[in-house]
Order: sequence, then C-alpha cells, then structure tokens
Amino acid sequence: MNKITAYKCNNCGQIMYPHHFRCLSCYGRDFEEINPEGKAKLITYTVVNELPWGIDERGRVLGVVKFDNNVKALGVINVDKPKIGMKLIAGWEPVRVIGGQKVYGLSFSKA
Amino acid sequence: MRPVVVSGVGMIPFERRDEDSLVDMMAMAGLRAMDDAGLGDRPVDSVYVGNMASGLFNHQVSVASALVDRLSLMPAAADRVENGPASGGSAVKNGFLAVASGFNDVVLVIGGEKMREVIGPRATDIVACMTHPLAEYIYGVTLPAMAGMFTRLYMEKYGVTRKHLTEVAVKNQENGLLNPYAHIQMKITMEGTLTHPQAHVNNPVVADPIHLYDCCPVSDGAAAVLLTTEEIAKELSKPSVYIAGVGQATDTHTLQERSDPTELKAVQIASQKAFEMAELTPQDIDVAELHDAFTILEIAESEQAGFFPLGEGGKAVDAGETRIGGSLPINPSGGLKARGHPVGATGVAQVVELVWQLRNEAGEHQVEDASKGFSLNFGGFGNNVLAFVLRREG
Repeated sequence: MNKITAYKCNNCGQIMYPHHFRCLSCYGRDFEEINPEGKAKLITYTVVNELPWGIDERGRVLGVVKFDNNVKALGVINVDKPKIGMKLIAGWEPVRVIGGQKVYGLSFSKA
Repeated sequence: MRPVVVSGVGMIPFERRDEDSLVDMMAMAGLRAMDDAGLGDRPVDSVYVGNMASGLFNHQVSVASALVDRLSLMPAAADRVENGPASGGSAVKNGFLAVASGFNDVVLVIGGEKMREVIGPRATDIVACMTHPLAEYIYGVTLPAMAGMFTRLYMEKYGVTRKHLTEVAVKNQENGLLNPYAHIQMKITMEGTLTHPQAHVNNPVVADPIHLYDCCPVSDGAAAVLLTTEEIAKELSKPSVYIAGVGQATDTHTLQERSDPTELKAVQIASQKAFEMAELTPQDIDVAELHDAFTILEIAESEQAGFFPLGEGGKAVDAGETRIGGSLPINPSGGLKARGHPVGATGVAQVVELVWQLRNEAGEHQVEDASKGFSLNFGGFGNNVLAFVLRREG
C-alpha cells in the first residue's frame, strides 16, 4: 500500500504524525521519516451519519489507530462492528473527492 | 496592568436571521452595547471583531473595516480576530489587553457569525476546515465526529452515560426557554430523547455516540461588549463588572497526538491562568458559562476547569448541582446548546451573559446573588481555549 509519512525525532525518539517543524517533546528539528508498520490497534471511533458537503454517504466509520511502531493516525474503518482495542490491517483507498480529484488516505479492515 | 471594566453589553437574539447581513447583525449588537453603557458620542478607540469564516459563509472579508463604517466609528482602529470557535473569546482578550496596557481607553468588542446563509452540509464542511487538512479533513471528519470519538473515550474512562449527556441537553434547553436571546425555544424530555423505545426517531445518531440533541444548533447572531478603564466606567451609567482574570492555552492540532485524548490540557491551563490572575478559585464562582457545543463538553470542561473532580461532572448534572438554583449553575443562558453557536459570537455572548448575571439583569434565568462568574470558549477540538473570570464591584 501507499503510506503516510510519519516522523521520528532523532534526539528523543518521539513519534509524530502529522509533521511538526519542532519535536513535540524535546523541540528538536532533526527527524527520520518513517512509515506505519505492523497491525493497527483501534483507540477510538465514531459512526458518522451527517457527513460534510462532498461526501454522499451515511454511516462512515472513522477511527484513530495506533500502529505497532507507535504511529497514530485517523482513517476510515471498514469494519461492521468496530470495538476499541481490536486489531486492524491498514489499506490505502480514495477517501474523498476534492476539486474533481480522488484523494487517497488510510483505511482499515479487520486483521 | 490597569483594571478593565465591562461598561456595556449587547446582543441580538440568536436564530436564523435571513433578513440581516453579518455586518448588520454585528452593528446592531454593537449599538446595544454602546447604548447600554450610556456612551453617547464619546469616541471608541478600537474595535475588535470576533469572526471565524465570513469569507466562506458570506463571501465577505474585511468585516471589521465594514463594521466601523456602518457604525460611523471612524477613525477607530479596527481588526478582525479569527481563532476558530474561540474567535469571540480571542477578540475579548485583545480588547482587554488594549485597555489593560494603556493603549486604549474605550474598546468595542463584537463577535458575530452568519452561518445559515449556506445549507447544512456546506456549513458542516466549512466548520470542518479547522481540522488538519491531511491527517483529518480528507477523511470527512466533522466536529460532531471529533466529539463522538472523544465521548466514547470519556464514557469508557470516567463512566459518563447517555443519561448524563441527555440530562445536560434537557437542562440547557429548559434554561433556553427562560432566555429570550436563545435560538432553541423548545422543551425536551428524557423520555422523548432517551428512554422511550422510539426516542431514536426524535433524537437520531449524528456521530455515534453523539445524537442530535447532544449538538448545538447552527445559528446566526452577534454579541458585543464595551470595555473601558475604571475611571471612564465611573462616568458611565452601569455598575462596574471587571474582567478579573484571562487565560489562554493551546494543545495539539489533532486529537490523536495527545498522550491521553480525554485530557483537555488547554482547558486546564487556560482556566488555571484565569483563576490565578483573578486571585480566585473555582469554589469562588457563582455561575459558569461553558462551551457546550456538544453535551460531553459541558461535563468534561466542568471537571477540567476545576469545578468538579474528574469523573464527577456527570454525577453533578444528575444531582441537579448545575441547574439554576444548584450549587454551581452552568449555562443558565441555555449555553451553546440552546442559545445557539454563531461561532465567532459565542465567546462574546458568554461574557455578555455573565455581565447580565453579575448585574442581576438576567431576568427569568437569573442566578441568585451572583457576584463572580467564569466563562470558557473552546476552539477547534480543544486546541485553543480561552477562559475568563468576571467579578462585580463590591
């Protein structure tokens, strides 16, 4: 899959996503680019019935996950009955159309 | 710093206002604040306008310049202050600093938003523009979705229940019935929104576990405060209510990067700073206006601002402690839930409500013997928060 780019602080090891110009923990400016690795654990989620302009669907599940290498990210959860703590596998799919262009992002299915 | 007095306040009713432009609404609120103070023809030094998204909602920018023209306040300085849902609070803070620093003697702060000019899903999208463009917005995240994810964690960690959330909604809509400025003038019941087998028809899921009546409405409206020095306040007509404490703090843009997403650090720090400046504690406060854009936020803020221990906010609602007449009335105005949430107006409207309460001018929703008040204006999903402590003279 295509992946998001996360950042590991070369001074203190803090993992960050999205990008910051200074480390959230030690304010360092030197980072290693990393990708999410392994399975993802569902931290929290919601089932959204009222989606914004441009997304013509109901019941999209959105959730925050934590990967095995501690990268945390939001994505679309393609699971019928999500549960906090469940293990997921990451995918990469169109999540929205903006200006006529498909925008790709993280999606998750049951491990 | 010099003491800063709220010498005049004014609001227009929050509702759907098809006939009035954004600048019209703000001008009406501003005039009411000037007249409330008895300002007459005395000049205003500066105008701060709290507004989040006039360019997107109303296709108009430079609204502060338009507003001073509409009110013939030239050559007063004029600035628009944009800080998401905390735009109003940030505008009040800027006005406070202008007077406290000695830069200005008379400052008019006006917050306004006209959101009903666009259809609902478009308004939802405009508000969602405050989320992170790549890490959140592209997925279709909305503010109710953020609240849904937060609520699920808060319920699991602290035992908040749907009953607690619905009790906040019922209370605040009851309070709104007593406030002629409130957008939602409708009583709801626990049965109709929670316990009846068909309650989900009235109160459908918006972003699970958030239901319709857990959310504030989308409103048009404006509110204004006139801030002056102590000396000028004594020459004007109203009893002095001081801005005794101001606090502001920020947190990470995304919820996911907080080590504990249930911890609202910006709420905690902004509140502490406001109390420290005022040399007061949460126990000294008689009335609070909290940012209940979603019912969970009233409970979480009441705990994290220091009024109740963590995990006790829901129980306090259940016990009636936060009702008018309770040990700490919260949102006697109806809050964002019933008064409405024209985004840039809210932080100013909270201060207007506190001034009415502390002057004993709040009418049917008056809190008895209130002399110290607290307000909290919550920007983003807790990433930029302002807190104010107000105190009546004497």
